[in-house]
Amino acid sequence: MGSVFRSAEMSLCQIFLQSEAAYTCVSELGELGLVQFKDLNPDVNAFQRKFVNEILRCDEMERKLRYIDKELKKDDMKIPDTGENPKAPAPKEMVDLEATFEKIESELREVNTNAEALRRNYLELSELKEVLKKTQNFFAEHGEGHHTIVDDAQNALVHDEMATTSATAVQLGFVAGVIPREKVPAFERLLWFACRGNVFLRIDEIAKPLEDPVTGDAIFKCVFIIFFQGEQLKLRVRKICEGFRATLYPCPESSQERSEMLNGVSTRLEDLNTVLHQTEDHRHRVLANCLKEIRNWIIKVKKIKAIYHTLNMCNFDVSHNSLIAECWTPVSALENVQQALSHGTELSGSTVPSILHRMHTKETPPTFFHTNKFTKVFQSIVHSYGIASYQEVNPALYTIITFPFLFAVMFGDLGHGFIMFLFGLWMVVMEKKLMSSKSDNEIWNMFFGGRYIIMLMGLFSVYTGFIYNDAFSKSLNMFGSSWHPNYSEPLLDSVETLVLDPEYEFDNVTGPYPFGLDPIWQASKNKITFTNSFKMKLSVILGIGQMLLGVMLSLVNHIYFRNPLNIFTEFIPEIVFLLCLFGYLVGLIFFKWATFTVHCSTCAPSLLIHFINMFLFSYTMPNDNFNYQCDHTNPKLTGCKATTVFYRYQNYAQIALVLGAVLCIPIMLCIKPFVLRARHNRKIRVSIES
Amino acid sequence: MGSMPEMYFNIDHGYLEGLVRGFKAGILKQGDYLNLVQCETLDDLKLHLQSTDYGNFLANEPSPLSVSVIDDKLKEKLVIEFQHLRNQCLEPLASFLDFITYSYMIDNIILLITGTLHQRPINELIPKCHPLGSFEQMEAIHIASTPAELYNALHTLLIAYLEDFYSFCNEMGGATADVMCEALQFEADRRAFIITINSFGTELSKEDRAKLYPRCGRLYPDGLSLLAKADDYDQVRAVADCYGGYRELFEGVGTNPGDKTLEDRFFEQEVKLMKNAFMQQYHFGAFYAYVKLKEQENRNIIWISECVAQRHRAKIDSYIPIF
Repeated sequence: MGSVFRSAEMSLCQIFLQSEAAYTCVSELGELGLVQFKDLNPDVNAFQRKFVNEILRCDEMERKLRYIDKELKKDDMKIPDTGENPKAPAPKEMVDLEATFEKIESELREVNTNAEALRRNYLELSELKEVLKKTQNFFAEHGEGHHTIVDDAQNALVHDEMATTSATAVQLGFVAGVIPREKVPAFERLLWFACRGNVFLRIDEIAKPLEDPVTGDAIFKCVFIIFFQGEQLKLRVRKICEGFRATLYPCPESSQERSEMLNGVSTRLEDLNTVLHQTEDHRHRVLANCLKEIRNWIIKVKKIKAIYHTLNMCNFDVSHNSLIAECWTPVSALENVQQALSHGTELSGSTVPSILHRMHTKETPPTFFHTNKFTKVFQSIVHSYGIASYQEVNPALYTIITFPFLFAVMFGDLGHGFIMFLFGLWMVVMEKKLMSSKSDNEIWNMFFGGRYIIMLMGLFSVYTGFIYNDAFSKSLNMFGSSWHPNYSEPLLDSVETLVLDPEYEFDNVTGPYPFGLDPIWQASKNKITFTNSFKMKLSVILGIGQMLLGVMLSLVNHIYFRNPLNIFTEFIPEIVFLLCLFGYLVGLIFFKWATFTVHCSTCAPSLLIHFINMFLFSYTMPNDNFNYQCDHTNPKLTGCKATTVFYRYQNYAQIALVLGAVLCIPIMLCIKPFVLRARHNRKIRVSIES
Repeated sequence: MGSMPEMYFNIDHGYLEGLVRGFKAGILKQGDYLNLVQCETLDDLKLHLQSTDYGNFLANEPSPLSVSVIDDKLKEKLVIEFQHLRNQCLEPLASFLDFITYSYMIDNIILLITGTLHQRPINELIPKCHPLGSFEQMEAIHIASTPAELYNALHTLLIAYLEDFYSFCNEMGGATADVMCEALQFEADRRAFIITINSFGTELSKEDRAKLYPRCGRLYPDGLSLLAKADDYDQVRAVADCYGGYRELFEGVGTNPGDKTLEDRFFEQEVKLMKNAFMQQYHFGAFYAYVKLKEQENRNIIWISECVAQRHRAKIDSYIPIF
C-alpha cells in the first residue's frame, strides 16, 4: 500500500451522502481511518452548526460518564480493559444510552447524598460520645482536696470579694463541644479577648481521628468545655463557637444522666454503622454493574461525538436532501473508501447509494505516509525535524539504517551494545503482552515506542564495538596482535614504558590485525591520540557521505517536480561546493591512508594544517630534490615536513578548487531570486493584460 | 550595576512574568465578544467558551446552566491562576500579590459585617465572599459586638490600604512605580468621585466625607478640598474639568439611551491604564493589570450571560471591550 520512498499520492474527493445514510457512512469511514475531511463551513460559529444539539447531548453524556468514572476511581475499582473496539451505535440507540446514564447518575447521586447524611450523623454521634466521656473526666473528683472542675472554675472566675467558702458558690453555666485541633490556639485567644478573661476553658484531645463526611479525610478534634457566668457571656461564647465551626453538644449536668445518654448514643452508633455498611454495599453494587460496560460506553460516546463533528463540516444540500463532504484520501485507498461507503449505505437501509467522485484541484494535498510498526518510529524521528511536503522524497527510508549506524559509530562498545540489543530484543519479542498492559509511565512508553530502533542501535553497536575493539572498555585479542616487541626480558622487567617502532616491531609478514583495532593499543599510552585521529577521519568521511546522499536526494526531487531552475541554481552549485571543499578533504584522507608508510612518516602531511592553508592560500614548498615519493630519503635534505606540499602541482589544484567553490556562492544566492522575480512580474503583466 | 534592575528581574520573577503574559494573551478578544453576543442560550455561550482559553471549565456542570454557576466558575478559574502565581513567587512579588488580595479581603469584611448588621446567618454570607480575599478567621468576624464602630474603622482601613500600597510601589521604584502609582492614583481619585456623588442626598456631612477621601491620588490636596465642598453633580464636574484626563471621563455621561454611566467611563479608563501596563517589561504592574483585566472580563461575560438568560438583548453591547 504505497512505498516508503515518497509520500503517498493523494486525491481530493467529493462524497454525496444521503441524509439517512450519512451517519453510518461516516461511521464506516471513521473505522477505516484513511480519510481527512475538509471543513466546508469555516466561518460558521460552533453553536450555529447543524448538529450542535447532538453534540450538546454527547457532552452531557460524557459528563455523566466522567462522574461515574470518578466514583469508580474513588472506590478503587479498576476498569477492565478488554481491548474491544465497539462501533458507534445508531442515532436511535443514543436515546437509550442517555436514559441508562441518567438512571445510573441519579442513583449514584442519591446514594452519595444518603451516605453523606449518614456519615454526618455518625460524626455527630461520635463527637457527642467523646464529649460525654471527656466531661465525665472533667467532672470527676480528682486530686487530694477533692477539687472538682467546678471548684476550679469558681476559683478562677469568681472574685475574692465573695466568700471563699463554697457555700456561696455562684451558679455557673457551661457549654461543651468539639472543635478542630488546629483552631484551638486562635479559639483560646479570641475567647480571652472577647470575654475579657471571664470564661474558664478546658481542652482535651480526642485521640483517634474522625472521618469528614464529605471528603473522607481524617480530622483531629478536641473536646472543650467553657464555664461562664451570665446570659451575655453565654451569647458571646455561642457566637464565637459558631465562628470557629465548633459544634456544641447538650451535656447534662448530673453524672447519671450523662451515663444514660452515653449508653443511648452507643447503641445508636451501632445501628448507624450497620445502615452505613448497607448503603456502601448498595453503592458498590451499582458501581459493579456498570464496571463491565463503562469502557465501551466511553468509546461509543466519543465516536458519536466525532461523527457529528465530521457531519458539521459538510455542506447541506437542501434540494437533494443530501450532505456534501470534501475529503483527502490516498489514491491507493480509493477502493476501500468506496467499499466503506457502500457498506454504510447498506447498513442504514437507504436505497440511494452514496457517490464518491474525484476532484481535480490545484491545492497542495496533505502529506501522508503509510507506516507499519517498524517504520513508525523512524518516521516520527524525521517528523520532529519537519514534515516533508507533498510527494517529496522521504528521508525515513534511509534513516532506518543511517540513524542506528551513526549512533553506533558514537557508541562503539561491544559489551554495552550487546546489552542494549538484548533489551531491545526483549521488548520486541514481548511486544503484544507489553502493549496490552498499557502503562501510564511516560518514560517507559518512550522506550517501548522505540523498541525497534533500540534493537538496531544495539546490534550496530556490537559491530562498531568489534571495529573499535572495545568491550566494556577493554580490548579483545581474538587473532593475536601484529606488534611484536623486540626487547630483552630484563629490559622489559626494568623499564615502565618502551617505544615500539612500527618499522621494526610491526609484523609486515602476516599483516595487520584482521578485523578491527589491534589489541596492543589498549596497553599503549598514546592510544587516545591514535584512535582520535582514526575516529575523526572516519566521522568526516561518514558525515560528508551522508551530506552527499542528501544532496543527491534533492536532485531526485528536482527531477520529479520537473524544476530545471532548481537543478542549475541549487543542485549544481551545492554539489560543486561540497565536492570541491569537503569531497577533496575526503579524497586527501584516503590518499594519505594509502600512500604514506612508515618510511616517510616525517613527511606525512597534517591534513588539518593543509586544509586551513588551502583557504589562506599559503603553501610551503619543499626543496627542489623532493620527488614526492615515499622512500627513506633524509627529510632534512628534502625539506619536507607535515606542512609541505605533498604532491606535484598541489598548490595550483587547491587554488582552483577554492576559487571554484567560492564562485558557487553567488550562483546559489543570487540567480534564483532574480529569476523568480522575473517570472512573478511576467505573470502579473499577463494577468493585467488579459 | 544597581541602576539596571531589569537585568536581574528574570532571575526571580521571569517564569511568573512569562506566565502572566500568557494568561493575558488568553483574555477574550473583540471577535470572541461578537460571537458571544450572538448566543441564544447559555449552552451556546458554554460551547463558544470551549474554544477559548477557558476550555472545559463548565464541562462538569449539569445542564441547565445558570448565571450564578458561570460566575462561580469564572471566579474559580481566576483564583486557581492567581494561587499558582502566589505559590510560586518570591519576595518582593509575594508582598505585592498579597497587597492585591488585601482589597478583596476588605471587601469581604465589609460584606460580612453588613450582613451581620442585618441579622443574616453566617452560613449565608460566606459563599458570597470573593474567594481571592478569603482568610482564616474570616468567619469569626460576625462575633463583633459593635459592628457599627467597625464599619467606620473599615473605611479608614480602606484608605490606609490604598496609601500603603502606593508607598510600597513607590519604594520599589522603576517601572513598577511608574505603572502602579498611576493606577493607584486613578483608583484613589475614582473613589473620591464616587463617594462624593453617592453622598449627595444622604446624611453624610461634608467633614465626614472629607475623611473618607484617600490621599494618594492626583486630586490631593486641592481637588479633594474642592470636592469636600461640592454640593451637586455639576460642581463635581467642575472639579474634574481642572484635571486633564478626568475632564473627558465626564463627557458623554448621562441617563439617555446611548450614553454611558460614569462608572462605565471609569471602567473604560481603568482598562486603558491596565492595557498600557503590559507595554513595559520587568515590573510587577503586569500582575495587577492581569487581575483587574480578568475581573473586567468576568463582569463582561456575566453581563452578556444575564442578557442572554433573560432574553433582554437591548443593552447586550454595553460590555467594556478590552482587546
